[in-house]
Amino acid sequence: MVRALGWLSAVALALGLVMAFGVAPRESTQGNVQRIMYVHPPLAWVAYLAFGVVAVASIVYLARRRAGADRLAHASAEVGVVFTGLAIATGSIWGKPTWGTWWTWDARLTSVAILFVMYLGYLLLRGTIEDGERAARYCAVLGIIAALDMPLVHFSVYWWRTLHQPPSLMKPGGFSGSATILWPLLVNLAAFTVLYAYLVAKRARLLRAETEALA
Amino acid sequence: MSYARRAFVVAWKDLLVERRSKETLNALLFFALLLLFVFQFALGPDRERLAGVLPGVLWLGFILSGLLALGRTFLVEREHDCWEGLLLAPGDKSAIYVGKLAGNLALMAVVETLVLGLFVIFFDIDLARAFPGLPVVVALGTIGLAAVGTLFAAMTAHIRAREVLFPVLLLPVQVPVLLGTVKATEALLLGESLASVAHWIKLLAAADVVYIVAGLLLFDVILEG
Amino acid sequence: MPDNWGFVAAAYGLTAAVLLLYWRRLVRKEKELTAIGKRTRHGHNQPPSDSAPSVAERSHQPSRAAHPRLDPDTKSSLPTNPTSRAPQS
Repeated sequence: MVRALGWLSAVALALGLVMAFGVAPRESTQGNVQRIMYVHPPLAWVAYLAFGVVAVASIVYLARRRAGADRLAHASAEVGVVFTGLAIATGSIWGKPTWGTWWTWDARLTSVAILFVMYLGYLLLRGTIEDGERAARYCAVLGIIAALDMPLVHFSVYWWRTLHQPPSLMKPGGFSGSATILWPLLVNLAAFTVLYAYLVAKRARLLRAETEALA
Repeated sequence: MSYARRAFVVAWKDLLVERRSKETLNALLFFALLLLFVFQFALGPDRERLAGVLPGVLWLGFILSGLLALGRTFLVEREHDCWEGLLLAPGDKSAIYVGKLAGNLALMAVVETLVLGLFVIFFDIDLARAFPGLPVVVALGTIGLAAVGTLFAAMTAHIRAREVLFPVLLLPVQVPVLLGTVKATEALLLGESLASVAHWIKLLAAADVVYIVAGLLLFDVILEG
Repeated sequence: MPDNWGFVAAAYGLTAAVLLLYWRRLVRKEKELTAIGKRTRHGHNQPPSDSAPSVAERSHQPSRAAHPRLDPDTKSSLPTNPTSRAPQS
């Protein structure tokens, strides 16, 4: 099953890559740099998805105390932090030629950055607590609080950047809705999601094996 | 013992301990004073520049003092081996959360009043026009900070790296509170009405509700062991 | 507008590199653990605790991350309150 996911993600990613360069046209205003927008939004989407999974798995763990739920939360947090870091990096790489700067405190980038820091906090807490059962419980609490907080973070950061302030930033890669731009994006979105699922499954399985090895 | 009574007992015990030893309060007040000096030195004597960053600096002062105060929430229990007492407490343990939260709020209120007073003196702010609104904003922000802070203090109480981990975990979660309070304070200090920042007030209030409810529900989980 | 292929390559390259490295790390750790599993199954006189710590020492931090080994109903000896929300005051 996990293996099948692995092959599926490899195929999907390959397809996505081909479409990003073969099917998608050269964008008129930004030039070929816009092609980064076929990886950056999918990475960001997975970053949020992974966080949601951490939250749900945390709730399930507290409700049912099944070790599997805790392993899922941990795995999703670890894979999530990788995707989030990449989302920030690709966003920054896109931003440099487009906006002229590596970093800007725009609403989306800031929100993702806060998400990243929350992931790091989760993993840090995990790493610091030695007792397995306590680590699971405390991380579940943190995961839930952080997830509840994200909508608040979103609104506050968005208002912080847009209210009483003229939009000084170019609107990031909006697509005109043409099929040649939409489809590569969707394929990559799906591909990265499958890759996420595969990596989480693998990581969770590894966690179980590690726990059993130490038993 | 009723829930309210148990919460009250916890808060009362903490306040009594504090009143007798005064260790936290004195240290915090002194810290707040020092912060003022540090801010002044870091920002320079230029009046204009100070006026611009004042709301942010004020809340930085509140948050830094808050991190110190809140981080010590369970210090007494931990140092005097009373943690097991908390674990064994009968009934709904969220009463302990409420008691600790109330104690923390009282402590923060004293510190913030002093910080605000010092700010008025040292930075020459005209507080009067901010007045009906400012206590509301400060209260909402402090509740948000303390609600999550008390929970995380319990969580980090037994971790070796607690002095580092506590702020690291708390600060990202507090971003909405920080943004909301600074923006609202900024507007109020400019003389605008509370209604003009209604969206921020609503955000802060919503955040407080979310944090307190989460704290009440999840505190028992922390105190399982 | 210049095409900035360098940036495109950097973005795609970084993504591919990081994801590949992470995947390889997972694969490698899994191989290590299955190898230990085989060793302990075949060598009965060798207690598993001997090999496990050495692997833990060699591998990186996350593999030492703690997890509850047992599913519910196996709690510590400390008498805790029932976690169910029975109404009491």
